[in-house]
Amino acid sequence: MVSSKSKRYLSGSDWVINTLDYMMKATTGAGNMSQIVLALDSAIDEAALRVRLNRFIKEFPVLQGNVTRDYKLTPYWKIPGKIAADANLNVHHAESLGSCEDVLSLLGQSVNTPFKNDNEHLAFHLIKGNQRSFFAMTFDHRLFDARGAEAFLNLFQRYLADDDFSVSGDICFTSSSALTGWMKKFYAGRNVNRKIIALSKSTPEALPLPSGEKKSFRYRLISFDADETERIYDNAYNEAGYLMEMPYLLSVVIQTVHELFRSRSRTTSSYLIPVSIDMRPGKDAVQELFFNHVSYLFFQAQAKDTDNLKGLINSVKQQMYEQVKAGFPADLAEASLLTRIAPLPVLGKLLHLPLKGKMATFIFSYLGKNPQQPPEFMGIEIKNIFHMPRVPAPPGLGFFCNYFNGQLNLVISYLEGLVQNEEINMLEAGLRKRFGAGQS
Amino acid sequence: MTLNNIEDKLIQGIASITSRDKSSIEADMPFHKLGIDSMGFVEILVFIEKTFNLKLIELDLTKKDFETIHSLASLISRKL
Repeated sequence: MVSSKSKRYLSGSDWVINTLDYMMKATTGAGNMSQIVLALDSAIDEAALRVRLNRFIKEFPVLQGNVTRDYKLTPYWKIPGKIAADANLNVHHAESLGSCEDVLSLLGQSVNTPFKNDNEHLAFHLIKGNQRSFFAMTFDHRLFDARGAEAFLNLFQRYLADDDFSVSGDICFTSSSALTGWMKKFYAGRNVNRKIIALSKSTPEALPLPSGEKKSFRYRLISFDADETERIYDNAYNEAGYLMEMPYLLSVVIQTVHELFRSRSRTTSSYLIPVSIDMRPGKDAVQELFFNHVSYLFFQAQAKDTDNLKGLINSVKQQMYEQVKAGFPADLAEASLLTRIAPLPVLGKLLHLPLKGKMATFIFSYLGKNPQQPPEFMGIEIKNIFHMPRVPAPPGLGFFCNYFNGQLNLVISYLEGLVQNEEINMLEAGLRKRFGAGQS
Repeated sequence: MTLNNIEDKLIQGIASITSRDKSSIEADMPFHKLGIDSMGFVEILVFIEKTFNLKLIELDLTKKDFETIHSLASLISRKL
C-alpha cells in the first residue's frame, strides 16, 4: 500500500473507465463524461457563486490530476501540488427558459463539450432565467463515478450553506499497485471468464450505430410527479417485492426496449444489460468521493420471455441473487486489476471480443433515495436533480433513474441518430403506460 | 438457535453489508432506516442463505417481515 498526496494508483474499474473514455473520444469526439443537474426555483447570484466555487475547487488538487505510469507498470493518477486554474464556470443567459426540451438541449451542449485539456475533469454550467435557473456539474468519469460526483456536489452545497463549514481536500490517498496475489486474481478471472462465456452463447441485440464521427448525445427527461412516483413504488412492491425497485424498473425498461426492436421489425433473440453497483467499502468518506468504486451485474433477458412482466422480474431477481451469491461483482473488480498492464487501445479491442462487438443492448442504473441531499443551493430551493451521462457506444443507449424529493426521474441518453425522435416518444409513452403513470 | 442468536448474527451481517458499526444497529430499528437498496437487500438475503441455510428470495416477502431486524429474526426462527 502507498499513502501519498501526489499519487493514487488506479483500480481495475478505474482502468476500464479510462478505456471507455479512450474509446468514446475516438467514436464520439468527447470522453466518458456525465453531468448532474440541479433545477432551481429562482435565479442565482452568479458573482457569489463564482467566488465560492473557485475557493472550494482550489481545496482539491486531485481535480486537476492526470493519468500516467511509472516503472511498476500500474497506471496512477498524478496529483499536482495545487490547483492552477479557476473553476470552469460557463454562464448561459436565457430570459425565458421555455420547454423542458429547450433546457435539455442547452444542457446537452454542455455535457457534449470536451474538456479543454487532459488536466481538466470538471466544468460547471449555470443557465439563468428570470424565474428559475439550472446549475450543472459536468464531470469526467475517470475522476468520479455517479455517487462520488453527487457526494462531491453535496459537499459543495454544505460549504455554500455554512460559512463556518471547513473543507480540506489535502488528501493522503491510500492505494496499491496490487501486482501481487496473482493466484487470487487468476481464480477471480476464471470465474469472470466463465460468466462471460455463458453470456456470449447468445449474442445480445443492439441498435446499429449511426455512421459518422463526433456524434453528440441527446437526452429525454421523464419526471414522474409525487403521485405517479408513489404509484410506481407501490407497483414495484406488489410486482417485485420489498425493496425490489431496481428489478422492477429494469424489467419495465426491458419490455419497453423490446417494443422498440419489434417496431423496427427486427427478429430479436436476447438482450444484455450491465447495471453498475456501488462497491464503496465506507472506510474513508473523503477518499471515496473520488475515482470509481463500481462493479457490474449483467442481466440477460430472452426476447420471447419479455411479455410476461412477473416472469421477467423473477428472472432479473434470480440473476441478481445468483451473481451476488457467486461473488461476481467482487471477482470482476479483482480480475480487472490485471487489465491495468494493457495499454488503452489494446484493452479497447479486447473488450469488444467476447460479444462480437455488441457489448450490451443498453446501460441501466438506478440511484435510490439519498437522505444526505441538502434541499437548497445557495439558499434557493432545489426543485429537482437528475443525471445526464454520455453512454459508451456501443451500445450508445442508456436509461438512468434517480429519486429526489419524492419524485422519480428517468433519463434516456442516446447517441444522435441511433434512435429517432418518434421512437423516443414511443419509449416515453411505453414507459409511462407500463408504470401506470399519466402521459406527459 | 434462539431468537437472540439469530438477531445477533443478523446485526453482524447487516453491519458488514452496510459498512456500519455493529453498535449503531439495534434489533428494533426499522429496516428502511438502514439505507438499504435492492442490491444491499439481495446481499442480506444471500447472507441469510449462507448463515441459516434459508432461501428467502423464493418466498413472498412482505414489508411486515422486514419491519425491523427483530421481525426478520422471527421470520427466520419460524422457518428454521
